[in-house]
Amino acid sequence: MAAEVGNPVIPGQRLGSIDQFSAGLGTYVRQRHIYASLVGYKDIISQAGQLPKIQIKTGNVSCNLPTIGKVVTAKVLNVNPRFCRVLIICIGTTPLKEPFKGTIRKEDIRATEKDKVDMYNCFKPGDAVLAEVISLGDPRSYYLSTAKNELGVIFAKSTAGHPMVPISWTEMQCPHTEKIELRKVAGIKYWTDS
Amino acid sequence: MSSSTLSEGRKQFIVDGVTQDCRADGRRCIDFRRFQIETGIVSNTNGSARLRQYGTDVLVGIKAEIGQPKQERSNTGHLEFYVDCSSYNTTEIDGHIGDFTTQLTKSLERIYDSENVLDLKSLTIIAGEQVWVLYIDAVVLECCGNLLDCISIAVKAALYNTRIPGVSVNDEEGVLELEISDDPNDEKKLSIDKVPVIVSCNKIGHRYVVDATQEEECCSSGRLLIAVNDRNNICSLQKSGTGSLDPSTIFEMIETARQAAVPLNQELLQTLKREERSNNDKCGFFAN
Amino acid sequence: MEIISPEGLRIDGRRPEEIRRFNCRLGVLSRADGSAYLEQGNTKALASINGPHQAGDKAKIKHDRVHINFQYSMATFSTNERRNRPKGDKRSIDISQLMREIFQSAILTDLYPKSQIDIHVQILQADGGNYSACINAATLALMDAGVPMKDFICSCTASLVDSKTIIDVNNSEELHFSNPLLTLAILPTSEEIILCQMKSRLHADHLEDILKAGIKGCKDIYEIMHREVLNHVREAAAVMNAT
Repeated sequence: MAAEVGNPVIPGQRLGSIDQFSAGLGTYVRQRHIYASLVGYKDIISQAGQLPKIQIKTGNVSCNLPTIGKVVTAKVLNVNPRFCRVLIICIGTTPLKEPFKGTIRKEDIRATEKDKVDMYNCFKPGDAVLAEVISLGDPRSYYLSTAKNELGVIFAKSTAGHPMVPISWTEMQCPHTEKIELRKVAGIKYWTDS
Repeated sequence: MSSSTLSEGRKQFIVDGVTQDCRADGRRCIDFRRFQIETGIVSNTNGSARLRQYGTDVLVGIKAEIGQPKQERSNTGHLEFYVDCSSYNTTEIDGHIGDFTTQLTKSLERIYDSENVLDLKSLTIIAGEQVWVLYIDAVVLECCGNLLDCISIAVKAALYNTRIPGVSVNDEEGVLELEISDDPNDEKKLSIDKVPVIVSCNKIGHRYVVDATQEEECCSSGRLLIAVNDRNNICSLQKSGTGSLDPSTIFEMIETARQAAVPLNQELLQTLKREERSNNDKCGFFAN
Repeated sequence: MEIISPEGLRIDGRRPEEIRRFNCRLGVLSRADGSAYLEQGNTKALASINGPHQAGDKAKIKHDRVHINFQYSMATFSTNERRNRPKGDKRSIDISQLMREIFQSAILTDLYPKSQIDIHVQILQADGGNYSACINAATLALMDAGVPMKDFICSCTASLVDSKTIIDVNNSEELHFSNPLLTLAILPTSEEIILCQMKSRLHADHLEDILKAGIKGCKDIYEIMHREVLNHVREAAAVMNAT
């Protein structure tokens, strides 16, 4: 880890003016000046063609919420012909202390042939899925989508109770009974820290 | 955390570990976690103590007030308990938090409010009318399993730290007047020879563990609460949890609890005596 | 009993414009997202933060900002006379509502829509200035948790005795009902007042003096709080660099 140089900053401390910098994570703008909103160290990132961005580096990861575009790991709770309810347990690579509720609608499961989808051939309760947050949704849950190649079921148990092996993007096979079950399987890409 | 948020794999890992006498944090089945205890940190109480372990923080304060004796025991003082779990994360407890704290309060009352534990007769001022009532309040700041044991150790330390002021009874024209003395040399200490500590034994798989963490409590099928005092006598027993226990298991658990309680009671007493002698400035919450 | 003696000293030996001994510490609880403990004289407060997390009560979810759940409780042994209920009584509910509004204006709430932040403050020993200690402890705990805020919130009490202003009033001075008691909380960098609550009667001519005294008290407390937060960050960074 690079050595922390300089002094730490506290909320309310003025960092610069908006004529010279742009506000990044951990800062807010008031009356043409940029102020810090977190406790941490100041970090100036230069951007090509734009003003350099000031952001605050902090070691704290407790403020981790599902925001639009983030890939989350969720566990399927129940399945219904129109949507399925999931419990979001990790955001990116950080596990959550308390889970959030999410919903995957029928039209968000696949990118192609959206109206020909049969929910029971895509997810079953107990499966672990990788999904992307597309909307903050309604008060009950976030809306998620698995409409990309690398999203979908990453772990599922067969009806016999054994973890299954994926054999294609729609099928998984149980190693003990050799029975094939249908799921919307994720094509796992190599995980880089996002 | 409720048992539904622990995954099957994790539960299996814990059960397998216990079977081989190696728990998730490296302890053996009869080892207690290290804890720190400090007394006398809240100054407007008659006695106080704070117990700190990684993930558990309990503060106990004792206030002595003059009141009416209980109807069935009119010649002795008594203890009133209250457990406050308000800052403890309420979503982590299965069921209603009020029921949980009431259960803890009642268990403590059952074990401690008895003539066999403290010399309650010495708390009488005017027999049948005025006695000292000790209000023992436990504030749970955070908890990582084994809450009742931690509260019981903190209560014992707070009782050791309690000083009850002297009272003189003046009879003026037939009306009895009580005068509480301000003299610090006139204060009474309580004897904690017979005060027990609670040791809970949890049955996990086919073996049992002492001082379970929150995850281990989720995997346990039955729990036995055993109150053991300095003379290694059993003061109280209670079985809780949904699993059933074989009678031979109960005898083994009692023996295990007695073995685990001997060093616990001894070290606690030594620490309390050392703290009393040293008279250092109290660190309280500023200690690392 | 006089509050200010003829030599100009108060009951506990302080000068009228002196605050009590102030000590604070961040990160005292290991499992809360953020926590802080502070002592203002003999008043001791412990604050813990949990969140932001999924809001428990659907009725309280707001689609564009975070819901702040504030709980204020006084331990049963905190006052000289034992209290029966640590929380849930009308006074605690009233103060919780007040604190929720205060923190709503200082926390950048639109960053966490549909979520909830739980702030719990426990008064372990009450010796005057309980509301101030509560606000100061909650601010430090929010800093420890990394919740983005516009600025610190610093709070202090002030009173007027024999036309002289005193700051950081303790319990025995508060009990004199005839003297006005002002509880003030400010955002120190911009000197904006976020809480102003006064009890008892005050002549309008004295209002400016007592406000000025209160603001000075808040700024004195800010000095100590911000020094402690910077120390805490430096220690944490040193530990992270060493590993």
